[in-house]
Amino acid sequence: MHRFMIRKKVLITMNNYDLNNGVHESEKSLWVSVKKFFPFLREQRSQIILATISAFITSGLNLLAPILIGYTVDNYIQKGQFHGVLVYGAIILAIYIGSVISNYLQTLLMGRVGQNVLFGLRNMVFNKLANLPTAFFNQNKAGDLISRINNDTDKLNQFFSQSLVQFVANIITIIGGAIFVLMINWEIGLIALAPAVFLLIFTKILSPWIRQKNAINQKNLGNMSGEISESIDNFKVVVAFNRRDYFRKKFREVNNINYKSAISAGIANNTLAPTYGFASGIAQLLVIAFGLTFIASGNFTLGLLISFLAYISKIYNPLRKMAAIWSNFQTAFASWDRIHAILLLNSDLIKIPSVKTNPSSHVMEFKKVSFSYPGGKEVLHSVNFSFDRGKTYALVGPTGGGKTTTAFLISRLYDPIQGTVLLDGKDICSYNDDERTKKIGFILQEPFLFTGTVRDNIVYGNEEYSKFTNKELSKVIEEHGLKTLLKRFEGGLDMEVTATGNKLSLGQKQLIAFIRAVLRRPELIILDEATANIDTVTEKLLEDILKKLPKKTTLIIIAHRLNTIENADKIFFVNSGEIIKAGSMKHAVDMLLHGKRES
Amino acid sequence: MKKDTNQKKKTSSIFGLLKLYVWQITFLSILSISVSGLGLIVPKIISRSIDAYINHSFVMRTLMLEFGVIILGVFVLTYLQSIMKTIASERVAKNLRNAIAEKISKQSYEFVERITPARLLTNLTSDIDSIKMFVGQAIASLISAVVVVVGAAVFLLTINWKLALAVLCIIPIIAVFFFFIFKRVKVLMTRSREVIDWLNKVINESVLGASLIRVLNSQAPETDKFTQANSEARNVGLKILNMFAALIPIIGFVANLGMLVILVLGGHFVITGSMSLGDFAAFNSYVVLLIFPILMIGMMSSMISRAQASYDRIKEVLDAEEDKEVGEIKADIRGLIEFQNVGVKYGQKNALKDVSFEIQPRTKTAIIGPTAAGKTQILHLLTRLISPTSGKILIDNKPIIKYYAPTLHMQIGFVFQDSIIFNLTLKENIAFGGVVSRNNLEKAIKTAELSDFINTLPEGLNTVISERGSSLSGGQKQRIMLARALVLNPKILLLDDFTARVDNKTERKILSNLAEDYPNLTLVSVTQKISSIKHYDKIILLMEGEVVASGTHEKLLATSLEYAQIYDSQKSTNHYE
Repeated sequence: MHRFMIRKKVLITMNNYDLNNGVHESEKSLWVSVKKFFPFLREQRSQIILATISAFITSGLNLLAPILIGYTVDNYIQKGQFHGVLVYGAIILAIYIGSVISNYLQTLLMGRVGQNVLFGLRNMVFNKLANLPTAFFNQNKAGDLISRINNDTDKLNQFFSQSLVQFVANIITIIGGAIFVLMINWEIGLIALAPAVFLLIFTKILSPWIRQKNAINQKNLGNMSGEISESIDNFKVVVAFNRRDYFRKKFREVNNINYKSAISAGIANNTLAPTYGFASGIAQLLVIAFGLTFIASGNFTLGLLISFLAYISKIYNPLRKMAAIWSNFQTAFASWDRIHAILLLNSDLIKIPSVKTNPSSHVMEFKKVSFSYPGGKEVLHSVNFSFDRGKTYALVGPTGGGKTTTAFLISRLYDPIQGTVLLDGKDICSYNDDERTKKIGFILQEPFLFTGTVRDNIVYGNEEYSKFTNKELSKVIEEHGLKTLLKRFEGGLDMEVTATGNKLSLGQKQLIAFIRAVLRRPELIILDEATANIDTVTEKLLEDILKKLPKKTTLIIIAHRLNTIENADKIFFVNSGEIIKAGSMKHAVDMLLHGKRES
Repeated sequence: MKKDTNQKKKTSSIFGLLKLYVWQITFLSILSISVSGLGLIVPKIISRSIDAYINHSFVMRTLMLEFGVIILGVFVLTYLQSIMKTIASERVAKNLRNAIAEKISKQSYEFVERITPARLLTNLTSDIDSIKMFVGQAIASLISAVVVVVGAAVFLLTINWKLALAVLCIIPIIAVFFFFIFKRVKVLMTRSREVIDWLNKVINESVLGASLIRVLNSQAPETDKFTQANSEARNVGLKILNMFAALIPIIGFVANLGMLVILVLGGHFVITGSMSLGDFAAFNSYVVLLIFPILMIGMMSSMISRAQASYDRIKEVLDAEEDKEVGEIKADIRGLIEFQNVGVKYGQKNALKDVSFEIQPRTKTAIIGPTAAGKTQILHLLTRLISPTSGKILIDNKPIIKYYAPTLHMQIGFVFQDSIIFNLTLKENIAFGGVVSRNNLEKAIKTAELSDFINTLPEGLNTVISERGSSLSGGQKQRIMLARALVLNPKILLLDDFTARVDNKTERKILSNLAEDYPNLTLVSVTQKISSIKHYDKIILLMEGEVVASGTHEKLLATSLEYAQIYDSQKSTNHYE
């Protein structure tokens, strides 16, 4: 009959999109995080290889110099042969020039890798967000999401653009230096490297603790951002209710929490550096003590000792820099974990394969649809109803009764937990997003505008009209009967608006949302209290405009105002999980005034 | 014109900020100097050991002792220094944040709107971070670096001034390079900040407008917007990289040249006997010591300029003028409201023009008018969220600005058009106006018809409401806001399009509750629905910022064409009301 695809699970639980209820990321090991990051580097493979080769060359050349210097000291300076000094001086100069070139390449290439990875990562996160459903945005605080995409990618950015190059170069230098040192005199070499080994063990032991402190700090920073955002956005209530003290108090609280965890993290991050310095000193001491002893027994020379000291500094200085970079590294990957949490999520609004069905007379049908929000009580319980094409329907009911929820289900912003929603006889899940959104228009209860002009907002998401000039667009607007509405915006199409501003009144914003929806000419339009803040005279104008739409357009109006719904063909009463058809306007009013309320 | 005066305005140096923390900074400086100073002695010890060895007067124990003491000392001092750095920088950050918050809390709503919440958030987060870095890292590193460079230079000069001069030439060369490049990078850094702001804005709007984007399936254009901003961010990043990629190797090269000079010239001096081998080794060690600090100074200069830029932005907020007029009247108000030729102008646009009316205490007044007529502005003026550009507003015959602001706010309740709910418990949201008695709380809840709703919540009044109230319906939020206003037991109640989100039955109940529970209330209600306000004492018709007509419903029907038209448009459903 209708469809062969039956949902595999009868009861579908909605995904938990709450990012802060997931696994505690700070417990996972650092290397697990880093490994997850490697796929992002794949694209940059050739650049990374080239950069690494350059880094090897640079470090290699730089590492050659000390041994040559030592050789010069032993064989020429100590023997008083200046000519040899000049010759070797020239060789060393050549080496230095070579190293400049390779160093430049290395920095450039590695830096480019960093920028490209960052670019790709940001795009990936944004794309992921674009594919997640409304439920995700309702389960997470806007401030937290914005913090993850802005601050956390920025921390990764700082690591990539500043620390990464040094990181790679340092590792190569350290390893190279260690090799040279062992080759010159393995006994003294081992002794000199012992403190470094101790450092590595020390760092490994301390790392989890450092990481945890940083994770806590970052979480608190995110919280603080969120609190600040909320308070500043709600400033007018703070002022009107004379709660400036609330603002101050709330802020001070969050600030203090942040202060404590920041100091905690700061101290943790700074435990490594002094220790590295100390180890470096010990290493130098050991080299001199053993070096001089070995010279006495003839197994070592002064020149080699000088080389050795130079190599020790080439090993331990980078190690010290690494200690500083290590904390950046930890922070960067703690941020990566927070971003990764988003990448792991998937939309639960799956598209199922389309099946051929007979055309239906109903444009929309709900079959045994049940719905509840995660953690909430049931909003709709096994409701059944249908909408015919071209008619006007009104959904009325007490506030909180489920009208907007029904609208969400009609437009597939949410899927029902049980039951099926049919659009034109086909399961609504079998439509692709483009088809479905062209068919169904939805004017949301809270109108949202993007920063730009009135025109930008009117043609937003409208492929065809976005390409029109203002003149062409004005013509289209006139054809739809929308011209008089535009007059309410001084500056007309080019008037500037902001997303979070008060330049436009709520009513004006609703007008823009209205125009935007009408221009798309959908087959079904849902108006969710879309004219609540618009005066009744203008509202009549809007009704006339709606009448101009093609006859087959179905209107679903959710409103409280009776004159908004007086022209509906049928009225549905939404309350207590049920949707009941009202026989007439009077019946609906009756139910509204006297019926059992639930809110 | 305005831009010129801004540029001429003297910007206070970020170093001025440090004056407030003299003790911490001094302590930190002493620690840094000690650490660096001790570090400078190490090469000397090494060179003495080598020379002593050559002269067969080497004593291992002396070496171990001297060296050991120093590196232990450096360890302890460095550790203290890092603790000091953390505490000092976090304290500066905390205090600055509090100062900004204090400042904001004293400002008007207009101020916050003008500077924009987004910018204030950046001020409080990333700008503070730059300054924190400055205090935490730049200061200590700068002091250490200067000490090391100066100390090393002195040591070098004392060993062999000819060689020292030759080697020290590298410093000015490096300095010139840095200066040259940083000048060009500064412009790029500013651009980078702007692009990040742009990126943030796109992300912000995509998150806030998530539902709309899904309804319109406009993910593709949104992603395009983002990619544009992201690409620009990458471009600027690459440009900055190109600058630095050239800088660092060149500096390394110049430093290496210094080593070469030591080898050749120093070698010559050792051969001719004017320098010992130990001194030669020391020279090498000192130059190695020098390189890092020189690089540090360069790095720090970028940190400093970033911190200075952030400090300038913060100073703008901190130095903003405060409302000088502090009213003093603290009396109880009766509720007589008078507007005399009040005008509100935004740029060229007149939001309100020559508005005059009078509202008697304990009366009910409705303000009606088409969209964007200026109705909300009238209410905002009464709560002093905005100030009139012309005209006078009087309460109880006294100018509204002469009142002590908190007094007014305690007696005027306002229900906004858009829902503003805090991430607190229901009780805290309702009792937001301050400490409330149980009676007032219960009365407000009953009047706002919230009792049933509260009973359905498992934790009742102590349920925490999510941010932006997204788990509540529009009508529920409005009623909570009403309770919030009523809990103050106000003399004047201002409702902005209150009934828009509330169904008729509830609306009727609430209006009758108001009449019953708050009989002394002066009510001013902005509304669209004539049927609910027909019996009000006065109806003011506002169109395009001007009062077109005012009077009782009957009078307006008879005398005002516009009013009649509005009433007509609602007529057909009137008999259901």
